[in-house]
Formats: sequence, C-alpha cells, structure tokens
Amino acid sequence: MAATGEELYKQREQRFNDIVALKRPDRVPVIPLVSHYFPTKIKGVSNRDAGFDHELRLRCLREATVEFGWDFVPATGLFGSDGYEAVGSLQLRWPGGDLPDDAPFQFVEGEYLKAEEYGQFLADPSGTTLSTIFPRIASGLEGLGMVPPLYFLSNMYYLQAVGGGLLAAPPVRAALQALLALGDAAAAGAAADAAHTQDAATQGYPKTWAAPIIPAFDVVSDTFRSLRGSTLDMYRHPEELLQTIDLMQVPTVALAVQAARMFGNPRIFIPMHRGAGGFMSDEQFERFYWPTFKGLVETLIDQGLIPMPLFEGDYTPRLKYLAELPAGKVAGHFDKIDRQKFKEILGDRMCFWGNVAPSLLCTGTPQQVKDDVKELIDLFGDTGALILDSGLGVPDEARPENMRALREAAEKYGVF
Amino acid sequence: MSNELTDAIVGMREDDALAIVGRELDSGIAPTVVLDEAKEAMSVLGKRFECGDAFIPELIMGGEIMKGISELVKPHLRGPGDAAKRGVVVIGTVRGDIHDIGKDVVVLMLDVNGYEVHDLGVDVPTQAFVDAIGQFKPQVVGLSGLLTLAFDSMKATVDAIAAAGLRDRVKIMVGGAPADRQVQDYTGADGWGSDVAAALNLTAQWTGGEA
Repeated sequence: MAATGEELYKQREQRFNDIVALKRPDRVPVIPLVSHYFPTKIKGVSNRDAGFDHELRLRCLREATVEFGWDFVPATGLFGSDGYEAVGSLQLRWPGGDLPDDAPFQFVEGEYLKAEEYGQFLADPSGTTLSTIFPRIASGLEGLGMVPPLYFLSNMYYLQAVGGGLLAAPPVRAALQALLALGDAAAAGAAADAAHTQDAATQGYPKTWAAPIIPAFDVVSDTFRSLRGSTLDMYRHPEELLQTIDLMQVPTVALAVQAARMFGNPRIFIPMHRGAGGFMSDEQFERFYWPTFKGLVETLIDQGLIPMPLFEGDYTPRLKYLAELPAGKVAGHFDKIDRQKFKEILGDRMCFWGNVAPSLLCTGTPQQVKDDVKELIDLFGDTGALILDSGLGVPDEARPENMRALREAAEKYGVF
Repeated sequence: MSNELTDAIVGMREDDALAIVGRELDSGIAPTVVLDEAKEAMSVLGKRFECGDAFIPELIMGGEIMKGISELVKPHLRGPGDAAKRGVVVIGTVRGDIHDIGKDVVVLMLDVNGYEVHDLGVDVPTQAFVDAIGQFKPQVVGLSGLLTLAFDSMKATVDAIAAAGLRDRVKIMVGGAPADRQVQDYTGADGWGSDVAAALNLTAQWTGGEA
C-alpha cells in the first residue's frame, strides 16, 4: 500500500535528521535550500506576478517540489513585493516596481547608517532606526524623520502636546499608513504561507526552514553599513563596529528561537555573507565574525534546533573554524568549496549539502549534472552524509532538464 | 622610493601614510613621485591578495588611503601629469543585474594599476557596451554579474559585440561570484574570474604586460 502523506512527511524528516546526525540514510535526497523564481518561471509566470500573487507562486512551488522529486518544499526567502510597495522600499527593489517584470528582487547595499552616526545609534538604537534609518530605506517612511527621540515623549504632557502634534502632521500620518499597509501585506502573505505549508505537509513535504536569520555581522555589513562601510570600520571604528554587532546579537538569537517555536519548525536558515574566504583575514574573522556566529549556532543547538548555515562564497579557508562546531548538529550548506578538503577536515563532523554549481544547472547539460552528482556521491557515499542541491538553492534560470537530472542521478547512484 | 610610505599603506596605517605624504610634499619631493610610491604600495597589496596574504578589506582600505593621498597631492600638481596608461578597459554589470560591489573593487584596482577604466555602471544594456567599445577603443571588456540571469545577459552582450563586427578587437572577461569556466564557455568570453586578482591577471595578459 502506498505511504500516506503523513508517513512520507515523517520519513523525509527522519531521513534529513539522520543525515544531519551523521547516521547513514536509505538514500541521498534532493532538497533545495531556497527557491525564488524557478517554479513560476517554468510555468510562464512573470517575476512581477510571482511577487504579488502569493497563492499562485506557492502553488507553483508545491508543483515543482513534486515534479522534480524534492524531499522538502523549499522556503522562499524575501518574497512579498506588496510589502515593499506598501512602504516604497529603496533598499530592496522588486520586479514591477522600478525593476523590469522579468528581473528578480535585488538588494541595494548602501551606508544607511553613516560612520559618523555610530555614536547616535549606540546611544539610542531604536530612535535612530525610527527617525534616521527608516526614512533612508523606504520613501514612504520619510515622515518618520520628524519624530523626536521617543523617550522625550514619555510623559502625558509631551505625549499630548508634542506627540499629538506629530500625529496630526501629514508626512507622519502617511508614514504610519504605509506601515499599516505593510502589516496588511504581511498578514496576507503569512496566511497564504500557512495554508501552503499545511497543504505541502498533507502531501508529505516538510518545509525546509522556519525563518532566515542573518548573522549579526552581516546585519550590520549588509543592511546598515555596506561592505565598504563595514570594511573601513574594521580599521577606523573597530570598537563601534563590535558594539553594534553585539547589540544585534541579542535580538538575532531571540528571533531565531521564537520563529522556530512559532512555526513549529526546528530548522533555522542562516545566510552568511561577509565571513567567506577572501572577505577578511583570519584575524578579522576571529575578531568580528566568528564569535557571534558561533554563539548563534550554539544557542540554537542548545535549544534543540537545527541551524542551517548557508556558507555563501568559498569557505574552504574557514574549515578549521567550522570544525569547532558540535558534530552532527549542523546542516551545513555550501556554495563553492573544495569538496575533498571538506571531506578530510569535516567529513566526520558535518553533513555536506549543496555545492552543485549554479552555472552548471543554468547552462550545462543533464549529463554534466549527473557526472557532478556521481562525483559527490562517490566522495560522500561511504557515510551518506550528503544532501543534493545547487550551491545557492534552485537558480532562477536553471534548465528544467538539469533539475530532473539531479534527481535521476540521486536515484541512480545514491540509493544505499 | 620611500619604503616608509609603502610600509604605512601596506600596513593599513592611514594616519601615518597621510602624514608621510604631507612631509614628502613639504620637503619638495615631486607630487608625481609621491603618487607613484603610493601606487606601488597598492600593487604590493594586489600581489599579496593574489597570493592569499591579503584580502578584500586591504584592497578597499588601501583604495581609501589612496583617495586621501590623491587629495593631498592634487593641489601640488601643475599639469594633468598623467603617466601613459597601460591599457584601456571598459567594464560594467550586465543588463538586469544591479550589483556593483565586486565590479567596483575591480575598477579601483585596475585604476591604481595604471589602466584607463571606463565604468559603465550597472544594468548596462548590450548596446551601451558596443557603443563604449567604439568610443574608447579598449583592449579589454569586463562583464560583471552576481545573478544567474547575468549568464544570458553576458552571452547577449558578447553576441552583440560580435554582430557589430568588434569581437576581434577586444578580449572579453566575465566575472562575479558565480562565474566559472562553464560561464566563459557559455557566453563565448575569452576568460573568467571570480575575484579581483583574476581580473588584474587577465587584463595584464591581454594588454601585453605583467600582473
């Protein structure tokens, strides 16, 4: 008798858990860590529509999960163009906004907090976020620049006189309306996602992860200071940079734990950017990046959760650090890395997930994909601690025949 | 050659480097000589990067120190004082992609290594590359991209350059985090690189010099 959806769900989750715990599974699964536009693109849906029509996008995602034989339904990162539109996002641009309908959403790095504003930010992080950073990352929130430090309003005299006056000002009201519209968009997106997650579960597919949690250094570098800014800070303002990273660490860890509980999903995606080889020296990595990242991973493990770091870029030079993480507890996903070196240094400590080149899936042939999968299974088949995926989840431009080849090769070479 | 200045720049001691430059200019050392010293230090950083002894932060911070030095030197320059350029490069992030961090580091390092660089920016249409080749007569064209959609834009750009009859006049490199040999072959480019060292090497090779 065919297995029920519930049984399949349990089997697939158990298979994943076994691989993470370095127990030999029955076979090698294909699990895209994330998926953006591939499932809609192959159905002829524009990137613009994918960003606004959540039901359509999520239905395409479930269909792709079945069609391409994935073990989990991938979570979708930063979707929800309606939310970006609601606040007039300047930091994240979206198809159908000021990007063409066929472009993917794209992040615009910038110094949204300037080096000379560190002092102000560290003295009043919430106030600076509200009145300085929000207006810079979203045109609809410009009016918040008028808001004074909120602690100044902490009595009824000033709240009534100053606060009331502000709330009567049209730019402030427009910003608050924009924030409410963002909330409406988020609620609609969350409802669609909850229904989708339930549907996928009924069909037997766990969702990859509960939430994406950006490591504290990357929050500061990617979203406040930019690569250039945070790099110069390492030389010119190291103490302020470290204080800001530490400040971010507390809510980062809390959010990760809270999201896992709220969504009933123990898996936490940790996209990593600036810790990759080449982006800083070992000394800088040890001082600025590694302590908070390691702290995040260890806390998640202590809470019984499964960290899923995406080691984006080439982490071969950092393998010695990864060996410090608890064995059999981390679902490490790799973009570019020396497979052999990984096997030598971490083969008995961490499973290996990803690393099929996006360029291969987008421009190669099915035979090339199969050859690459065979190479991976030849290397990791002895322990079976392997999950197949591209280096960065499903590339938007992957050729469908190559995504099929990934699964076919897993079935041909990866059944133990 | 002031080893002191080179050491200060390579050692990332910004304040020291600027103080040394101020002192050298005051003592009557020719501004072009001071600039050459600073550029030499940047080329040391480039070589260290290539060997894995320096990383992106050193290149960015080095570029920043260079900027400060240029500001100090500028008032002392009488003419344009441009040394002969080692070669001409046209570079840009291809259509559909608005990422510029990697490209900007490459532009910075090509510039301080003595190349004339024309940066076309991001989301550059294929025709803009064709036009720039006509206008600036580069030996090297750099196509940058971070997204997988860039593969097709790079291919379309190489095809457009060929259709305009300009393919034999330029060497084309494709670069960015996802670039590899596969992407080079797919796009019909002459070389690929995923870091600034590769861009410098290819450019040096194609303009008849040494990296």
